[in-house]
Amino acid sequence: MSAAIAVDGLCKTYRSGLFRNKTVEALRGIDLTVGRGHVFGLLGPNGAGKTTLVKILLGIVHPTAGDAHLFDVPATRAEARTRVGYLPEKHTFPGLLTATQMLDLYGRMGRVSTAERATRIPELLEKVGLSAQADRKINTFSKGMLQRVGIAQALLNNPDLLFLDEPTDGVDPVGRRDIRDLLVWLRDEGTTIFINSHLLSEVEKVCGEVAIMNEGELVRQGGIGQLTSVEREYRITCTPLPDSLPGAAASQMMRVDEAPAPELEQWRVAAETRTDLNALLDTLRSHNVELEAVEPVRRSLEDYFIDVVSPPSA
Amino acid sequence: MQPTLGLIYLTFRELWTKKIVLGLFIISSLILMMVAFALNLDVVDGSLAGLRLFGQTPDGPVEGLSLEQLVFGIESAVAGATYWIGILLALFATAPLSVSLLERGHIDLLLSKPIGRTPLLLSHIAGVWVAVSVLALYLMGGVWLILSIKTGVWHLPFLLSIGLVVLMFGVMYGVVALMGVWTESTALALIVSYGLIFASIVLAASDAILDTLGMVGSTAFVALYHIMPNFAEVSGLAARLARAESATDWYPLFSAVAFGAVAYGLALWIFNRRDF
Repeated sequence: MSAAIAVDGLCKTYRSGLFRNKTVEALRGIDLTVGRGHVFGLLGPNGAGKTTLVKILLGIVHPTAGDAHLFDVPATRAEARTRVGYLPEKHTFPGLLTATQMLDLYGRMGRVSTAERATRIPELLEKVGLSAQADRKINTFSKGMLQRVGIAQALLNNPDLLFLDEPTDGVDPVGRRDIRDLLVWLRDEGTTIFINSHLLSEVEKVCGEVAIMNEGELVRQGGIGQLTSVEREYRITCTPLPDSLPGAAASQMMRVDEAPAPELEQWRVAAETRTDLNALLDTLRSHNVELEAVEPVRRSLEDYFIDVVSPPSA
Repeated sequence: MQPTLGLIYLTFRELWTKKIVLGLFIISSLILMMVAFALNLDVVDGSLAGLRLFGQTPDGPVEGLSLEQLVFGIESAVAGATYWIGILLALFATAPLSVSLLERGHIDLLLSKPIGRTPLLLSHIAGVWVAVSVLALYLMGGVWLILSIKTGVWHLPFLLSIGLVVLMFGVMYGVVALMGVWTESTALALIVSYGLIFASIVLAASDAILDTLGMVGSTAFVALYHIMPNFAEVSGLAARLARAESATDWYPLFSAVAFGAVAYGLALWIFNRRDF
């Protein structure tokens, strides 16, 4: 099965100035593949090239070099966008139209049939919590409501691939949770979702896979669990350690303050190999320590992101 | 077809929101009401027996004026006024649309739809053309209909001047569209299009001016005459059609249309190449 997004050696250089002699390299040879049905988060500091990448995938910006395909169709062709929904970061909807009229208009442009628009528009307004505002003009909407109606617009053609640029920007915590639930529902329905966001905690909750861009390059890509796990460090939750535990084993373990229950303790251990970890666990069991859980230590996505994009300190 | 209709509808809605278009509609309605109610014609046996405007008999030689001459005169005045004032106002009303089409957040959404860039821009232009055609048809067609019913003189060639007004608006909107997609500046688009219109007044006097210019000057003037839209000269064509006179020289119209085609071609070329 073909990938939802396939990008190969993508470069973009913006030229400006009277003689187009000022250049900015926005993308420097990006290779990226996003499988169908995945929820993919694109992260990066401002100016990293995230929006340029999304805009090239949607045919809004022309690449300088390289290829981009959506479902095997070159992204430069209009047909590639038939199965795509998009919510830009700073969207401007015609303020003179009501929510229903606006959705009908963008539905037409997305080649959604009249019959389908008639059923999907009320459904989507219901889903994003704007049923009561269906006949209100867009220019009276709050920022959060604009974001919700924007998401409804992106979903109108029942897309197989959804691009969301800062989808929870300006939305209150309750609305943010609603949008998150909606994304999870879409993921479960098999929609591929590509999220471009600064809100790392949001991305962490929804995305299975992320890529981090910095200065026009893709610096990391992988599953969130894989990227945020600390190499060969584990958290062990167990019953209290006996005094009889050999010094070699005890010295490997570092007590963590918080514990899930009063009768349990939590320890952090570094084991260079799987054999070392298993030897330690055997030692604990042989001293009647009962194990509740052994799990790899993870950092938050935010910590990982900052480590990756921050320049090394002098 | 659906995306095209959607864009035409959007252009209509945007134009309606701009109060200038509403103003043009109201002014047109006032002119129509004036022709319908304030212009009283006494027609006896198919001849003009008397004329009153707002209940007053105008000064001047009304006697001896045939009914046809009066109708052709009024229609010619309406055609000339619509050509000059109507097109200038219509350009002023529609110029912001080509720039607002390119507004960030709006153009991104449009381009993300399964519609090519060329059909997208052409649909927008078609929307503007259709709206201006409706307004021109309302005013000029209305004047023609009222006068024809009042006098019994059904002067069909006048209807051609409606097409001419819309066509020349289209030529000048090509300049607005080109400057819009190139510079994203409504002011510059209007300055250039109005500048070309006023330059065409000078170019229309080419016969008188060429004699006063030297070799280089006259060559440059002739080149400009053939390159730039002959807006002023075409107005003469519209007036002749309205007066039921045969057109003697169609070249100004053809060269203006060719200029418009080049302007639209360039606008499409830039629009297709640009990043947004």
